[in-house]
Amino acid sequence: MSTTSANNTRLPDVITDGTGRRINLLDYKAHNIRASWVLMIVTFGLLAALGYGVARAYDPALAVVGVAIAASVALLQNVGAYWFSDRLMLRVANAREATTDEHRYLVNITEAVAIGAGIPAPKLYVIDSPALNAFATGRTPEHAAVAVTTGLIDKLDRQELEGVVAHELAHIKNYDMLFTTLVGATLGALILLRDLVLHSMRYGRRGSSSGNSKGQGVVTIVLLVLLIITPILATLIHFAVSRRREYLADVTGAYITRNPEGLASALEKIATHHAPELKVSESVKHLFFTNPTKKLNARNWFATHPPIEERIARLRRL
Amino acid sequence: MSWIILIILIVLAVVAVSLYNRILTLENRFENAWSQIDVQLKKRNDLIPNLVETVKGYASHEKEVFDRVAKSREKMLQAGNVPERAEAANEMTSALRSVFAIAENYPDLKASENFRVLQEELSAIESKIAYARQFYNDAVLQYNNAIETFPGVLVASLLNKREQVYLEIPETERQAPQVSFS
Repeated sequence: MSTTSANNTRLPDVITDGTGRRINLLDYKAHNIRASWVLMIVTFGLLAALGYGVARAYDPALAVVGVAIAASVALLQNVGAYWFSDRLMLRVANAREATTDEHRYLVNITEAVAIGAGIPAPKLYVIDSPALNAFATGRTPEHAAVAVTTGLIDKLDRQELEGVVAHELAHIKNYDMLFTTLVGATLGALILLRDLVLHSMRYGRRGSSSGNSKGQGVVTIVLLVLLIITPILATLIHFAVSRRREYLADVTGAYITRNPEGLASALEKIATHHAPELKVSESVKHLFFTNPTKKLNARNWFATHPPIEERIARLRRL
Repeated sequence: MSWIILIILIVLAVVAVSLYNRILTLENRFENAWSQIDVQLKKRNDLIPNLVETVKGYASHEKEVFDRVAKSREKMLQAGNVPERAEAANEMTSALRSVFAIAENYPDLKASENFRVLQEELSAIESKIAYARQFYNDAVLQYNNAIETFPGVLVASLLNKREQVYLEIPETERQAPQVSFS
């Protein structure tokens, strides 16, 4: 009867990451919440500064207005992301609510793993697709949701499905979605600001062209370069953070089930499975268990997930 | 001079309060973990009469197994404290195992929808118990560490906090892993 993978073998609860930094798996949530605050404050400051700079470059009298606009954009983005990202994500992924009658197996597994993770069982959704994938969303464990493709339920055995669910619950437990969503919102704000400035430069062209000083021209150019580079840089950082976070969720998931092999074997099935790619917007692909676009699971700057083989290898080394 | 003493006292008080809070938090955690287990144990006990009726319909002469289940259930209902309930729970787990083992000999029983639903439910409960026990043991480990190491031990001894025992995994679960009924 014990088809579950839970047992009392001890796995290390403190691991060392690639750079030699020690990470306490049981306390990663605190780290993420701190990082989220820092990120929010930095974004806020950055956008305010940019707003100030941009406005000032046109007309010193408008500087305050620029700050105000940029600050409200940042605030709206963050608050919006905080409250609505989960519903938006479920909508975008075409997920429908899982019922106990139809998906008893999935419901039971998730409830069990949630007990092991020490968080409330999340709301469950399914995505009708033969692709093998899953994602978690929601700002706190109390508001969390997990969505799983029907292909995943059909193709994985109980231990493998437990592994994938545990990986998703690890994201929830660690408050990964809070952080990821904020990064996404920041990125959105930066891009918005960039487009705004580019747009106004093209059509507005007032103030600076009359050129009362050379300095102002230089400022404008520096600002422009900054505005174009920052979103790219932010994207790259975002992806790097995302790759690292996937490893962490794997390890935490393995810790929750005490069974790295279940998750490793699920990843193996996903790597060798041939099904049409899950069709979702580019902007949410990093939120999935593996990136729906296979080549974005790689070891390069533009990949959101580490190579699947590498994830398997790391799990098997535990 | 008196300023320095005052500051030291304040710092000590802050440290003591935060240690106290941490110990209470950890204590709550394993107590909640136990109640998670208990909820599942009660659910399982409630499903048993239904299971026995269903199996009896196909395998009425397997008296020994039914007696064993009935005894474990009785014991479970009477058990009061944590170690007693844990022990009764382990007995129940192995009694149920024997029910599902004899079911293998009755194809009609195995094919019945009622039995299949009960089997999935009980197997899910079993899995939840296993996870809850794991979480309980983790919580106990954290608690024990907190009250036995410096500086927590100072506060813990004042509060008379004692080391908690881990829940044992039943022998049967260790020996016979991963039997899939699906």
